Formats: sequence, C-alpha cells, structure tokens
Amino acid sequence: MSNSTPQGKANASEQPQQQQKPQVLEEDDEFEDFPVEDWDQEEAEQSATNEGNDHLWEESWDDDDAAEDFSKQLKEELKKVEASA
Amino acid sequence: MAPPTPILDQFIGSVSELVQERDGSKLQDFLQIEPPLSDIYQRMIEELRQRYPPGPQSDTELQQRCEILVPRTKGSSSWSAFPTFMRLYFSFLRDVNVENLLDTYNLLRALLNQCVLALGDSQNGVIVLPTVLYLSKVLAKLAMGLDRQPELIAHILRMEGGSNREENIEKVTLVEQSANVVREAFIKCLTDRSGTPGPNGKPEGKRVGIYLMANLCLKLLFKCGKLRNAEQMFASISAQSPPLIHFPASQRVTYLYYLGRYLFSNNLFHPAQIALRAAYDQCHRQALNQRNLILTYLIPCNIIMGRFPSKSLLQRPEAKGLAEQFAPLCHLIVRGDYLAFREHLSFNSPTGQWFARKGILLALRNRCEILVWRSFCRKVFIHGGFHGDPAAQAQRGPPPFLYLQKLLVATEWLQSRSKLSNGTTKPPSYGSQTISEPMDPDYVGLENQGSVTSNGDPELMEKYGDFLAPAGCFDVGGYWKENMPGQLIDGTPEPEYEEYELDPYADDEIAEVQPALLMGEIESILASLLTQGLMHGYLTHRNPRFAIPGAKLRGALPTGFPNVWETISTREKEDNSVPGWVKPPQMSTFGAPALGGAGRVVNLSGARPVGVQ
Repeated sequence: MSNSTPQGKANASEQPQQQQKPQVLEEDDEFEDFPVEDWDQEEAEQSATNEGNDHLWEESWDDDDAAEDFSKQLKEELKKVEASA
Repeated sequence: MAPPTPILDQFIGSVSELVQERDGSKLQDFLQIEPPLSDIYQRMIEELRQRYPPGPQSDTELQQRCEILVPRTKGSSSWSAFPTFMRLYFSFLRDVNVENLLDTYNLLRALLNQCVLALGDSQNGVIVLPTVLYLSKVLAKLAMGLDRQPELIAHILRMEGGSNREENIEKVTLVEQSANVVREAFIKCLTDRSGTPGPNGKPEGKRVGIYLMANLCLKLLFKCGKLRNAEQMFASISAQSPPLIHFPASQRVTYLYYLGRYLFSNNLFHPAQIALRAAYDQCHRQALNQRNLILTYLIPCNIIMGRFPSKSLLQRPEAKGLAEQFAPLCHLIVRGDYLAFREHLSFNSPTGQWFARKGILLALRNRCEILVWRSFCRKVFIHGGFHGDPAAQAQRGPPPFLYLQKLLVATEWLQSRSKLSNGTTKPPSYGSQTISEPMDPDYVGLENQGSVTSNGDPELMEKYGDFLAPAGCFDVGGYWKENMPGQLIDGTPEPEYEEYELDPYADDEIAEVQPALLMGEIESILASLLTQGLMHGYLTHRNPRFAIPGAKLRGALPTGFPNVWETISTREKEDNSVPGWVKPPQMSTFGAPALGGAGRVVNLSGARPVGVQ
C-alpha cells in the first residue's frame, strides 16, 4: 500500500475511521475560565423583556391524553382481559 | 573572571523592589515561564548559562545571589523559601527543554512546590499568591495535555518505571499529582490566620486565593476522576472559609458548578439542585458555554426530583444540544414504558453514551425508572381501575382500587412488544421477571441439569439422574473416574428411593410459580412507590389490589398519584443547607449572629439581657 495514489489512500482511510469513531472527545466539556473576573447580578439575569420571567420547569407533566397511541393500545389490551375473564 | 550578567542583575534588582513593595501581581508578571519568552528573557537565559552552568557549585552561588531578595526587617524570621524558589526559577529557565514535556512537567512541579512553600510564610507568603496561581494553571494545562496524549510520554514513563518500580505501583496520573500540589496551595490560602478568619471574615490576605485554588484543584480532580479526594476540601471550606458571597462572581459560579456536580455524583440531588441553580442564576448571561454545562447537570437534577425542563428553557441559546438529549427522556418517563426507557438508556444507544460521557447515565437509570413505573401504574389505573362509584356517592362505597392482575397483564403486554425481550417467549424460572438479563456464562446449562437418559427407570432418572448416574465419581483411592453416560454408578437403586425428595422446590408447580414471581415483583415495585410517597394508598396481598382511600375530596388520581415534584421537594425542603457552601452567619433580630450551627461552641460570656446598655 505504500505506493498507492493519494486518492486511494484517502478512500481507504476515510471509511473505517468514520465508522469506528463517530464521536470525537469533546474538549468543550471543560468548564472554561471566565473572561471577566466579576460582574453585577443584573448582567447575569435574563432581561425582563426577553423571556426573563417565564417558567423554567414543568412540575405537572402527567399525561391524561387517552387518545395518545400508547394509552390507546394499553386500553385495548386491558379490555381484552376483561372480555376473556 | 566570571562573565558579567547585567540583565540578571537588573532583573534581581527589580524583583527585590517588587518584594519590598509587596506587589504580588507585578511579581507574577515578571516571573514568566511559558514560551515564547521575549528577547530580554532569552538574553538573561544566555547570561545564566554562561555564568551559572548546571552544577552544584554554581547552584550554591546562584542561591547566594538570590538571598538578597529577602526583606530583612527586624524581629521577623527570614523568608528562606523565597530565595530557593528564585534559584529554582532561574535554573528552570536555564535548563528547561520544552521538547521533553515530561521533563518540563517535573521541573515545573518542583518549582511550584517551592513556590507553595514560600506561600506558607505568614507575613510575606501573600506576595507570591498570584505566582502560585499562575504556575498552577500552567502545570494543570501541561498535565492535562500530557494525560490526553499518553503516547507522547509512554516511552519516558516506561524508562522511569524500569528504574523506579514504586512509581509504577502507585499509578498516580500527572493530573492527580498536580491536583495534590494545588491542594497544598489551597490549604495555605484557607488557613491564613491574619485579619479575621472563619465565617465572619472577609477575603483578605491569602484568603483571596481560597476559591481560585479550590476551583483549579476541583477541575483537576474531576479530570482524573478522583472526586472522593474533594470531600476533605469541601469539609475544610465549610469549617474555615469566609462566606462565598464575598468573592467575585466568576469564582462563585465556578465553585458552585463543581460543588453541584460533586453533590450530584453523591446522589444528593436536592443540595446539588440548589448549588447548580445558584450557579446558573449568577452566571454571566453571555457565558453560554458555562451556562450550557451548568444546565447539563441542573436539568437531570430536576428530572430526578420530578421536574422537567420547560420548552422555553430548552429553547434558550445556552441550552443548545440539550433538548435532543433530555426531551425524549422526559417523554419516556411520562409514557410509562420501562422497557423503552431501559433501551433509551442502554449503553449501546447514542443517548446512553452521551449521558455516560457526562457522568449522569447511572444516576438517571437508577433514579428515574421508579418514575416510569409510577406513570405506568397511573395509566393502568386510568384504563383498568375502579374509580369509585359515582352513582352511590354515598359514604359507604368501596374506595377506588386497581387489581394488580391488570398491572401484571399490562406488564406482560409491554414485554411482548419490546425489542429487548424479542424472541425470548418464556420468562426465566428464577431472577427478575420484569427484566431478562443475559445468561451469566457460569450458569449456562443449569436449566437442563438432571435430564440424564439412562437404562434406569425414566421417572426416577429424571429426578435423581445427576446423583445416580453422574458424569464421573471419585473411587476409593480418591481418583477421579469417568462414568459412561447413563451408567448407574451404584447399580439399581432401592425400590423405596422415590420417597426421598431432594429438590426443595419440587412441590411448586412451575406454571403456577411464574405468574406469582412476576406478581411478587410488581407488588414490591408498588410497595417501593408507596414508601417513597410517589403513590398514596395501600396494598392488599390476598387478592392483590392497590386501594386509594380518602379520595372523595380530591378524586382518585390526584390522591393516589400525587405530584412528584411537590412530594419530593416538600420532603427535601426540611433541610435546605448545602454542605460546602459557606453563607454569612444569620443575623438575629438583636443584631448578633444567631445561635446554633450544629456542634459549634457558642461563647455566651458577652451576652447581656435585652435592653441593658
């Protein structure tokens, strides 16, 4: 393989590498130093006009939608049992 | 005659002045080590190499030159660590070969060690604080770079391992090694006794460096996976540090981020949530990368506690890339399919790998599955439970309930449609009935044991074949003797043999046992949900049911399946303290620090009755 054309080399090395290592070790996992040392709290908060006061968390997420696919199938399945019992 | 060293002379003179003026940051600015060094440094290095070539003789002379740097004030002990540090600094410049990164690392570590010793001086130590921080950062960068490219140092490590086997045994990575040096510096900052130390103090003297050093050390400890070593740091900070609020925002946010992650990895999700939330709230709004990392841990904290990120949170610019990881997870918890949930968080799934790399996979797996089961039970109750008799509306109607048999059927339905249990139709006769784990290779063949064909009574052989006709036995001399397959070793057994029952489970009919096993497992999952307060009611074991008493007022669903976040946060709110986060002492109405703080001695000698001047 040492005297293969550059093009051939590229083709040979491209495919297996892409398959084997899909993810690169991400360097941005590190918590970077801040470019400024200190700031006021106003600079940390979202400005009031720009979605500042909207809620961040959903506390009620229970799903009561009987028309949802999973619920519908589950309902059918439970009906079958009642019918046979 | 010794060659002249005009630049070195000038340099030493300037350093001496800076020490006199106690100008730490300018001193740090002088003590450059990172290439590319400016021309004036290059010329000084040339002078050093000519006048003080490597060797014990010139080291002694160089040391003497540096002695004049120590301020000699009356009554104070001399700061001997500083001249030695300066001598090491000069020989570092003279000797370092940045081509050899491991050598550079070792020289730099020795230099930083000496600088930390100089930092220990109670009067002058503070002067080298900026230098300690600077050298620590360079060392950390170098160590992390080297650990990332082991091939760069492999050959050198191997050579070292040959000459010094002890190092080989310890296996301390360079990152951990540098974390240990930085921790020494941290301790020197924390234990500065000048001014007012402790929780009533302000960041003055060396204490200004507490969180700078702590944050750097934590970064290194997280990097090398030695989180446990951080425990002592947090404990000493709790005991000795001034309140965090007196430190600059960048240090506060960084510290709260690491503290939150540490608490998270110790399964302390409530305090972790408080610390990470504070980090998020105080973080500069333009620092998107930092905010993104904080959210990466704040969001799973909240999910585990039963609160999901809102759409508007996930749409914020700093949440880039997080919605595709967390939104499907939340969706699966709501849906209630525990097998799909497991598949989503299996190590083979791309999501699973992402969570694993962030260090949150196991926490999500272990803590969220119970929420999935809650959703599942809730849905089965909606579609298959008795919701109370609306016509009766009387006092005497039975409470709403759910036959667990329906839960069992629904579980089997989940299993039948899952990819995970694809192909395996028959559940195992032992172990978990909800999850089919791959067979441990040690136990392969266990199930077929005992089915030995032989010339004996087939019924007898099915039961006792492994004993009557084994694959071999030890003879009277203690030697192993192979046995012909099916050959009765002791001849034909006595007729009354069938009376003996060796199998303790022989009376249980397998067909009956298996649904009972699954039912037992479902009962224990429900019991766990009830104990954790995630469901409300009671279980009956005979004719298994889950009943929801006291549902008349609020209805069966809200009573039997209370809001998860409310339940967990109400329970956790009893203790909102965050270990490792020092807050200003609470002021009582009398203007004095409030008494309390577990285990602290309160000196009441100065206490006077209210109103007495």
